[in-house]
Amino acid sequence: MPQVSRYLTIYISFIKFSLITELSFKINFLIKIFVELLWLSILIIFYEILFSNTDNIAHWSREQYLFFIGCHYMLGGIIESLFLENCANFTELVRSGDLDTYLLKPIDEQFIITTKKIDWSTLPNIIQGIAIMIYALAVNPKWTFELTQFLMFVITFTCGLTITYSFLLMLCSTSVWIIRNQSMMELWWLFSTLMRYPKEIFNDSWAHSIGWFLTFVIPALIVINIPASTMIRKFLHPYSVLWMGICTGLFMFASRKLFKFALTSYRSASS
Amino acid sequence: MIKKNQPVIRKSWISIRKYLNILSICLTERMTYRNDFILSTIFRFLPVMTTILLWQAVYRSSGKESIAGFSQRQMIAYLLLIHISRMFSSMPGLANGIAHDIRNGTLKKYMIQPIDMIVFLLCYRCAHKITYITTSAIPYSFLFLICADNFDDFPDLTILLAYILSLLLGFLLGFYFEVCLGMIGFWMLEITSLLWIITTLNYFISGQMMPLNLLPEFWRTVLYILPFQYMAYFPAIVFLGKLSTNQIICGLLIEIGWALILFIIAQYTFYKGLKHYSAFGD
Repeated sequence: MPQVSRYLTIYISFIKFSLITELSFKINFLIKIFVELLWLSILIIFYEILFSNTDNIAHWSREQYLFFIGCHYMLGGIIESLFLENCANFTELVRSGDLDTYLLKPIDEQFIITTKKIDWSTLPNIIQGIAIMIYALAVNPKWTFELTQFLMFVITFTCGLTITYSFLLMLCSTSVWIIRNQSMMELWWLFSTLMRYPKEIFNDSWAHSIGWFLTFVIPALIVINIPASTMIRKFLHPYSVLWMGICTGLFMFASRKLFKFALTSYRSASS
Repeated sequence: MIKKNQPVIRKSWISIRKYLNILSICLTERMTYRNDFILSTIFRFLPVMTTILLWQAVYRSSGKESIAGFSQRQMIAYLLLIHISRMFSSMPGLANGIAHDIRNGTLKKYMIQPIDMIVFLLCYRCAHKITYITTSAIPYSFLFLICADNFDDFPDLTILLAYILSLLLGFLLGFYFEVCLGMIGFWMLEITSLLWIITTLNYFISGQMMPLNLLPEFWRTVLYILPFQYMAYFPAIVFLGKLSTNQIICGLLIEIGWALILFIIAQYTFYKGLKHYSAFGD
């Protein structure tokens, strides 16, 4: 317990420090929020145009799809606010040799490297995501609240978040060997792009094997699909949830091991 | 008469040779990262595939043969052709690079050397595009080969020439548009946020997300006059044969007009900006 409260105190300090830094550049902060709002508006206009031509996409109705987008936006917001910038910065720490100062501190390396900076400008994405989800549920006449369903949503969403974080950590760990973060960011962008589509669109015969690969090998497709399906479509396949649990455990374990291994390969290279 | 012109011809040749050398050096530099280029291109294929699958699902669910005048095959062909348009018109890092040079004072390197900054950047971008297009030709050919069924007959020579012209003009349009944005750096120190807004908006209004035919009539008319659609949408629909000869000529004239306007704005703001520039920094 003292360890937990120690880490909590440190994390609160990170939050405060990041907020002070962010508010030093208020205009930039506001513009970043505006860009996020703009992007969300574009996405909603795009899907509204699609749904003006059809009443469902791969068996997802307009309201269900809106919930799916909200879910994706919330998860993306959490990852971008809490971890993305830290992971992207890891390459620079390796390249400049500044990682030394982190390794010398009496604290878990993964904790300090992946959580030090909080990007406050993307935090409103989480609120926007929640707002879209609530709206989608409110306008869906067939949907009724059930506590167990909600709890399952929270659990599967947390699993999705853990898988995404672990994937990001694995990508970031490779920076020790490949000192160029362009490819890492490309792969992350790819992973987050794949997350935002319903897995039913892969039901076409030629895309079936790709859908299988993205469910069972790199499970980008289950991250949003399972929690969103659980909540809005009341569709909960026990095997899907089991697979999500297994993936969460496997990804957590593999990412931690890879990160630790990467640190052992790190050679301080600064002047 | 010939003797009198000789120094002028010699001077022009020296100038051309100088920029050809710059082009050659930039080509060598860009080829150093060719593996990175190929890897990035392959990474970009998966989102293309998911977008195609999404549209296939839309057509399947709607039961419609055509949406906004596009059949399913044409829509897929359009989504693929957009990548070719962007291959020419996208200029990653150009505006930010100019603003960075202004902010850090490194712009003065162009002032103490007999090099025109805008021509230098144009040579650099030409090299970038030549490398990018040649290295991504193989993976893109493979992609187009797989999706060949979605294309009707190959367009006739006139359409093909108009398409190539629209792509080349798209390159100039994209280049001068980004240069104009970069020039704002003379008056505003930090333009990154402004660029985010423009890039995000451009993604939608240039037709990269979907054909602009899906938008209401009013917005289509507005976007027809603005330069954005000529960087992605216009070349694609020229290739698909969706425009009449008159529409193609009008579109190309508007594209030329915008390229000229942006060229003049870029030159003028650079001239004005240099008067404003105090060369502080490194």
